[in-house]
Amino acid sequence: MASIDEQPYSVSIPDSELDFLKKKLELSRFPDELEGAGWDYGVPLPHVKRLVEYWKDGFDWRKSEAALNRLPMYTRDIDVEGFGTLNIHYVHQKSDVANAIPLLFVHGWPGSFIEVRKLLPLLTAGGSDHPSFHVVAPSLPGFGFSQAPSKPGFKGPQYAEVVNKLMLALGYKEYVYQGGDWGYVLAQHVVTHYGHEHVKAWHTNMPVPKQPTLFKNPFLFMGMFFLSYDASSMKRVAHTKQQHLKGTGYFNEQATKPQTIGYSLADSPIGLLSWIYEKLILWTDEYPWTDEEDEVIEWISIYWFSRAGPGASTRIYYELTGGMTHDTSHGTEWSSVPFGASYFPKEIIQLPKSWSHTIGNLVFEADHDKGGHFTAFEQPDALAGDLRKMFGKGGPAHGVVPGKNGY
Amino acid sequence: MSFDSPVKEYPFTLHVPDADLDLLRRKLELAHLPDELQVRAESQWNYGVPLADVKRLVFRWKVGFDWRKFEAEINKLPMYTRDIFIDNFGSLNIHYVHRRSDVLDAIPLLFVHGWPGHFLEVRKLLPLLTEESVDHPSFHVVAVSLPGFAFSEAPTKPGFGAAQYAEVFNKLMISLGYEEYVYQGGDWGHVVLNLYGGRHVKAWHTNCPMTTPKLSTVLAHPSLIPRLFALPFDKDARDAIALTKKHFAVGCGYMIEQATRPQTLGYSLADSPVGLLAWIYEKLVTWSDEYPWTDDEVLEWVSIYWFSRAGPAASLRIYYEMSHGRTRDFFDGTQWIPIPTGVSYFPREIARLPKSWARFLGNVVYQGEHSQGGHFAAHEAPEKLAYDLRRMYGRDGPAFGVVPSRSGYMQR
Repeated sequence: MASIDEQPYSVSIPDSELDFLKKKLELSRFPDELEGAGWDYGVPLPHVKRLVEYWKDGFDWRKSEAALNRLPMYTRDIDVEGFGTLNIHYVHQKSDVANAIPLLFVHGWPGSFIEVRKLLPLLTAGGSDHPSFHVVAPSLPGFGFSQAPSKPGFKGPQYAEVVNKLMLALGYKEYVYQGGDWGYVLAQHVVTHYGHEHVKAWHTNMPVPKQPTLFKNPFLFMGMFFLSYDASSMKRVAHTKQQHLKGTGYFNEQATKPQTIGYSLADSPIGLLSWIYEKLILWTDEYPWTDEEDEVIEWISIYWFSRAGPGASTRIYYELTGGMTHDTSHGTEWSSVPFGASYFPKEIIQLPKSWSHTIGNLVFEADHDKGGHFTAFEQPDALAGDLRKMFGKGGPAHGVVPGKNGY
Repeated sequence: MSFDSPVKEYPFTLHVPDADLDLLRRKLELAHLPDELQVRAESQWNYGVPLADVKRLVFRWKVGFDWRKFEAEINKLPMYTRDIFIDNFGSLNIHYVHRRSDVLDAIPLLFVHGWPGHFLEVRKLLPLLTEESVDHPSFHVVAVSLPGFAFSEAPTKPGFGAAQYAEVFNKLMISLGYEEYVYQGGDWGHVVLNLYGGRHVKAWHTNCPMTTPKLSTVLAHPSLIPRLFALPFDKDARDAIALTKKHFAVGCGYMIEQATRPQTLGYSLADSPVGLLAWIYEKLVTWSDEYPWTDDEVLEWVSIYWFSRAGPAASLRIYYEMSHGRTRDFFDGTQWIPIPTGVSYFPREIARLPKSWARFLGNVVYQGEHSQGGHFAAHEAPEKLAYDLRRMYGRDGPAFGVVPSRSGYMQR
């Protein structure tokens, strides 16, 4: 049920675009591959060939499109100071529970709004034993079916402004926030600018703490010297180091030359497919993508058919790091807004859990033994479970939104 | 040009099949370009290659660029191929340019390109290095296409690293009758010196003086120690360090990706001529010193990658192999050796050692400084590079006569 003047949105990719894609796929030129390379050098050739074949001849975009259009999707013009108006695409599903907690779900890269799909029924479901949520999942500017900014300088505060204004426009003056990847980074910006007043609590599946410092976190800092980290913390750090060494090529390129890589991603569907598929496999915890080629191709197609084109989505890396000259948390501050962290074993960045306190006012933690970076997609039950625990009766963030405790 | 090569050589004629030209044209006709942020003119290159450049180049490539004309010009170069057997990797068919000087005792010189370069970078140097004169030495020039680049075969198994490249270079020179020779190149040169320096490689010159300073070098050459501490007074050193730091901070996306996931990137570069064009053109412009690239010059350059024997993805693997998937420094395992070394400093080189630290590189006997030129020195400033080589190896030079009985001059 749409609320105040919502503009329903249907995806309808023109036939000409589908034909164009098919023509391009038919002209695919593949590289060779080293014998026995496996995954060592990147995505193996047989995977790419198989997926391209399927994309070209087997995948039914119209079927995907129809299913997407069964999601409650809308668009809305949002004014952004200094950037004019951006037309923002979003999913908005209200719970039947009148006092459901408004929740803003923010995706990252190479994610999209589609990551909320499996969470929707779980979060909006009514029930006496758990809280319910009204869920809003936007496509970030430059992703999915949202417009992209046309000028440089669209940074943390601007993304924060968009998502906050969206919630306010939907009548949610106070809400909670869930995100991973850029969803995590932007949470810090949103909370810095709108914490307490609008954002009452937030949760992440990808906490990225800072190293404790003497003045900011004296106890944790001292702990670094006097307490030895347990095996699990050491394992977490080692995993992160490995990711940093071997897995940051895309980050560095996108943060310094997004336009250059953008030409490849815009012109080559198989280039785009490989670039993204690599993350779908390496960043997940044995999610059975091979059984779900439709899921992979649909995911990639959303990038290929995105409103601003796949090249636009890389620019967030440049803007949020100043072209690789600063941290993504630059301009954010530690906030006392309550936050929760869920730890999944195959998340790409993992640091000692005790350091999560450096991020914010940690009130909730949950550990899991399965799941990776695309948590909402891989482990929707676990993630929904954590949100229910955090915001439910007896939970540490119960009732943070006055008058909307979820029951 | 002299054909009195002492050994049998197998001439190579480049002929890209019509079907390949046709596929390229069809892909260019389906080119799908991104948009671009509205950026001020002076910040145009901040985000990568400007859209206007790519649009113009793609259009030219599709409509005006005449590959057959350029191919015919390339075929005027003395090109050959030869099977070189590499331990554990079997035989690779290697493409190279070989021009002998009329000077019988010319110095054999191996010219090695880097990425995203190729054998054509030697083109402008050839007449300069091979010409005869009483005033300067002459060279027999061999310019090899690295395995996996241009028209050389690529290795098919993992692990083709520094030692293998060095083996190819050395075996090629020896097979051409050059038991002893000198080496010109940057980037990937260090290991060949370690393995064959002294016995085969008699001297080395680079326009890209880079290495990771090692403690062992400092200890062996104590004169370096005061130089390391002189930073506050050594403006050149501070500039060099700042330049190098900047390159590694904001100019290294390509390098990290190629050193860790060359295959993933390779799908884009193999499939999209537009993507390949942007990827390479960015370096041609940002790494050169305002060199006035013509569109056809760029397109010829990129076409070599597009039509390369092993495809553009293969050329990326060198970064992975030389760094063991980014687990080691490129210069790991190389040692300082005493063979005479020459360096040319070009102001727009992307990264370099401070001049006062040149000794980290090797037994530096010659340093040339220039006020113009960048990373692609042989292409941008061939007369300057030739000048340095002539000074280094000439009669009054510090490396004169390094190759026994090959003085570089006519016997009179």
